[in-house]
Amino acid sequence: MQLDPLLLAIATPLAVAAVIFAGLPKRYSVRLAYLGFGVPAAIALWLWSRFPAGAGEAYQFMSSRDLGLSLLGIKLTLGLNGISLPMFVLAGVVGLAAGLYAIQSGAERLKIYLALLLVMQGGLMGVFASVDIFFFYFFHELALIPTFIMVGIWGGRDRGYAAMKLTIYLTVGAMLSLAGLILIYHQSGAQTFDLITLRAEALAHPLSFTAQKYGFGLLLFGFGILVSLWPFHTWAPLGYGAAPSSAAMLHSGVLKKFGLYGLLQVALPLAPVGAAHWSGVLTVLALGNVLIVGIIALAQRDLKQVVGYGSVMHMGYAFLGIAATSVVGVGGAVLMMVAHGLSVALLFLLSTCIYHRTHTFDLTEMGGLARHTPVLAAFFVAATMASIGLPGFANFWGELTLFVAIWKSSPWVAAGAVAGVVITAIYALRAVAKVFFGPPTEAFSRVVAHVAPVDLRWAERLPALLLLGLLLFIGFWPRSLSAPLNSALGSLAPALAVKAAADPRP
Amino acid sequence: MAPLSLALLVLLAPLASAAVIALLLRRRGGLASVVSVTAALVVAGAGLALVLGGDRFMASMPWLQVGGFTLTVGFQFDDLAALMLAIVGIAGLAVHVFSLGYMHDDGARARYFGGLSVFMFSMLGIVLADNLLMIFVFWELVGFSSYLLINHYHEKASAADAAKKAFIVNRVGDFGFLLGILWCQASLGTVNLTEIAAAVGGGQVVSAGIPLLLFCGALGKSAQMPLHVWLPDAMEGPTPVSALIHAATMVAAGIYMLCRIEPLFAAAPAALDVVLWVGTVTALYAALCAIVQNDIKKVLAYSTLSQLGYMVAAFGLGALRMRHGDGAAAHEIVLAAGAGTAMFHLTTHAFFKALLFLGSGAVIHACHHEQDILRMGGLRRLPVTFATFTLGVLAIIGTPGLAGFFSKDAILYLALANSPIVFGVLALTAVLTSFYMVRMWKLVFFGAPRSESASHAHEGGLSMALPLIVLAVLAIIAGYGGVYGKLAGSFADLLPHAHGSDHITVLVTSIAVLAIGAGAAWAFYPAAGEDALAKRVPGAYAGLQLLNGSFDAAYSFYVAKVQQRFAMLLNFLEQIVLAGLIIRGVAGVVGLVGIGVRALHVGSLHVYVYWFLLGAALLWALVTGVF
Repeated sequence: MQLDPLLLAIATPLAVAAVIFAGLPKRYSVRLAYLGFGVPAAIALWLWSRFPAGAGEAYQFMSSRDLGLSLLGIKLTLGLNGISLPMFVLAGVVGLAAGLYAIQSGAERLKIYLALLLVMQGGLMGVFASVDIFFFYFFHELALIPTFIMVGIWGGRDRGYAAMKLTIYLTVGAMLSLAGLILIYHQSGAQTFDLITLRAEALAHPLSFTAQKYGFGLLLFGFGILVSLWPFHTWAPLGYGAAPSSAAMLHSGVLKKFGLYGLLQVALPLAPVGAAHWSGVLTVLALGNVLIVGIIALAQRDLKQVVGYGSVMHMGYAFLGIAATSVVGVGGAVLMMVAHGLSVALLFLLSTCIYHRTHTFDLTEMGGLARHTPVLAAFFVAATMASIGLPGFANFWGELTLFVAIWKSSPWVAAGAVAGVVITAIYALRAVAKVFFGPPTEAFSRVVAHVAPVDLRWAERLPALLLLGLLLFIGFWPRSLSAPLNSALGSLAPALAVKAAADPRP
Repeated sequence: MAPLSLALLVLLAPLASAAVIALLLRRRGGLASVVSVTAALVVAGAGLALVLGGDRFMASMPWLQVGGFTLTVGFQFDDLAALMLAIVGIAGLAVHVFSLGYMHDDGARARYFGGLSVFMFSMLGIVLADNLLMIFVFWELVGFSSYLLINHYHEKASAADAAKKAFIVNRVGDFGFLLGILWCQASLGTVNLTEIAAAVGGGQVVSAGIPLLLFCGALGKSAQMPLHVWLPDAMEGPTPVSALIHAATMVAAGIYMLCRIEPLFAAAPAALDVVLWVGTVTALYAALCAIVQNDIKKVLAYSTLSQLGYMVAAFGLGALRMRHGDGAAAHEIVLAAGAGTAMFHLTTHAFFKALLFLGSGAVIHACHHEQDILRMGGLRRLPVTFATFTLGVLAIIGTPGLAGFFSKDAILYLALANSPIVFGVLALTAVLTSFYMVRMWKLVFFGAPRSESASHAHEGGLSMALPLIVLAVLAIIAGYGGVYGKLAGSFADLLPHAHGSDHITVLVTSIAVLAIGAGAAWAFYPAAGEDALAKRVPGAYAGLQLLNGSFDAAYSFYVAKVQQRFAMLLNFLEQIVLAGLIIRGVAGVVGLVGIGVRALHVGSLHVYVYWFLLGAALLWALVTGVF
């Protein structure tokens, strides 16, 4: 049997996790964990470099296995197209960064912590490599459960409450989306969970308007809760505030994108008319993300809350891209997801680094840290600039493409979205200034007098460099991502054309 | 080398320098400064070779393609770009060399020179860009480098605040700029400068909204009212930075951008009127504010604002219609004189204002970082600084024969032809300009030293003197056709040439305003340690100070009392809704799920794993037909 790189990327972290759970001594566990995090990242980058330029709509690196569920039309079908490839790379790289950071964190019960993170990592690689909707969902759940546990056990302040709230919200979201998936599966009559077949079927025999309306609606709100669509977002800042940093990095950076990815790869092509039906509602809610949550971020005094609300806010852009129901909008949303995943993971990582030096997340008790830690300051400023969409970082291309798509569907909505760019600059630069610049506050002076802060250590610097490097690489060379993406977007065009034809609006 | 490779070299040399410094030379300030100055040397050398070589070309390639949206990057190296490249190259090199001396003892020299290189890269991108989106990309990057350099002394709260303010205010302008670009893309189907000109020339109707939104970008970058507030604060940065970024080049980028999209304004004259009045009012307002400044850099900053207003107003004056011949053979010629005069003044201003700022840097350096002109005096003893600074002052107030005289006269003539009211306001501004410049000049250089540091002032080294001398020479000669024509090529043909009685009017006016302003200031201000206006006419002084502070007061009120309170209110509501949802949720569906899940949530990870495995096994069993 030929070695299947996708399966290897999924199985390695899971296997390592299993071995650690089975009672491997700590010393070996940590060493093996490097392998568990490193292999998926290496495979992802390798596949990225090998991805054929003219791949078009076709999935690459395909494989299919019958695990005895074919009665229900379920097969473990793995493959990557131009839309899932960027996400797969994102999952690999953020996973490695989160893993490296976790290994050096010296957390209590480090073995179990690493094993759970590895389970999450395996699940994430599976989500974006799955062509079968059942496994797509299955892998998401596999990655989600360790998140709850990690927040509940290794979390910070309010971890009990945060874990409960996170679990309730995300379970409800997952259930709604499951209902939507089953509805579409049931209605399509294709008797399969295979996405390629389903999409061909949906193009040949579109689902009825009612099915599309309810199907897309369920998926929209189900996935929407998972991606912190306003006003179902309140779990996110709270959860990330409490989560241990590696879990926050992986969840906000990668796992959260499951919902958006599902909307793009499943809901939009299978129920394009439903998407057009919900587009207005989605636009209003997404503007809520950008404007209302953005303004709420201005009121935060806690560094992690600023990052958390900022992350929720940026999801609004991706939602607006979906609401535009256009090929450009989808492309922009994918670019945005990758860029945001990298930058928010970097921000959570660096926030924890800051915490270790200031012993607080309270912005009013910091100040002047740049003097002690110039490298940390440079990294944090870079991450902030990425998140506020400075050209040269990947985020800019995502935002710009989305704005082009949004303007096409409504200039006024575009004006609202672009206003978010100003809001982001305000809260983000304010936070940077409060942490790093100006004279130290009294509280921080006391901390400094006690233990002088040291600059970023190499163990912390390495994962940060990984994330920052990729942000800059895509920022300077967006074609590396947009070329495969663009060729895959063609597959959405016919479905969206169906929508345009059925759309009653002028 | 082929012109295209030269242009690439010009653009990429500073980027390479920045990358090398950031990655390798963080702790090697000396080496970093050498690398950065070398890059500036390459830019100036290759740039001037391009400008004087006479090759003009265009080239582009797609950079990002998503769906139907394509972003290209490319060069449009025409005469306008060549002129701007010459300015950036020369001023950039002068400031780099000056910095060698000025920043010699700074602990964070590597960061400083790296920042300068980032700036050069970004600025050159704007100069060479062939489309609006590419301009926007580099537009944001100059904003970032400006943030970085204003923030150089980041341990000072005032510097950190100023950097943040500059970035955010510019973002407000860019909000409109980006929307304008999106609108342009949607309406004309292109953002390429040549294609825009062709579309407009082909009779494409343009909404006035597009050029107005694009103008918002210039409002921010070129610090026009009401977004001018960041520029005076930006003086917190090191003085050479103020010379290069906040006087000669970056703040002029707004005017350059306007000239790039001149066809859009020609197609929508209503927008041009807005531009005209914004520029005119800014010119006058900033000149009034400059009178009550005591910080040498603040005087120059308000002067820069005022001169930028002059350029924006010049652009807003628009085309000049001239009648040639008479009788049946008469025909009308339309000259894009607005853009022509704006760029002419931009050029001369870049040289004499860079000179003045570097001169102020030499003064500040000599006085051990004293910036208050009331505590200076007697600095005539510094021969190079005094001579070059004096030339700069003479140039800016429009002394006949120096660069500023020609460019200011061109603007006044165009104003006289197109809008007499604007002519009046600009003439008044010119009176004020010579007034506040001579006030500053007298307080700094004449009388006895009024502080310890001023009495021990000493001249800086060669690296500081040389740029001053070069810029002083340019402040003299840049206004002559032989020099400006060489740099600007065909763009120099857009200058209007006054004839007959108008010529006399402009000439008399400009000499009169110079004499009145300078004479009044020289007579009114003694070289003393207190401000004569504050002492003799306290009402006027207080009034001007109030005017000066009014915008900042209004914005502070908005930020602290409106924006922040609104944010707190929304945050409060969110907490209420959050709590409310949970209370209601317990009784509702969410709550049921919650209770169920909470029952499972006993904090033991085994329970989760078991539940998960149980579910998976059940499903497996179900579908494989075990039951």
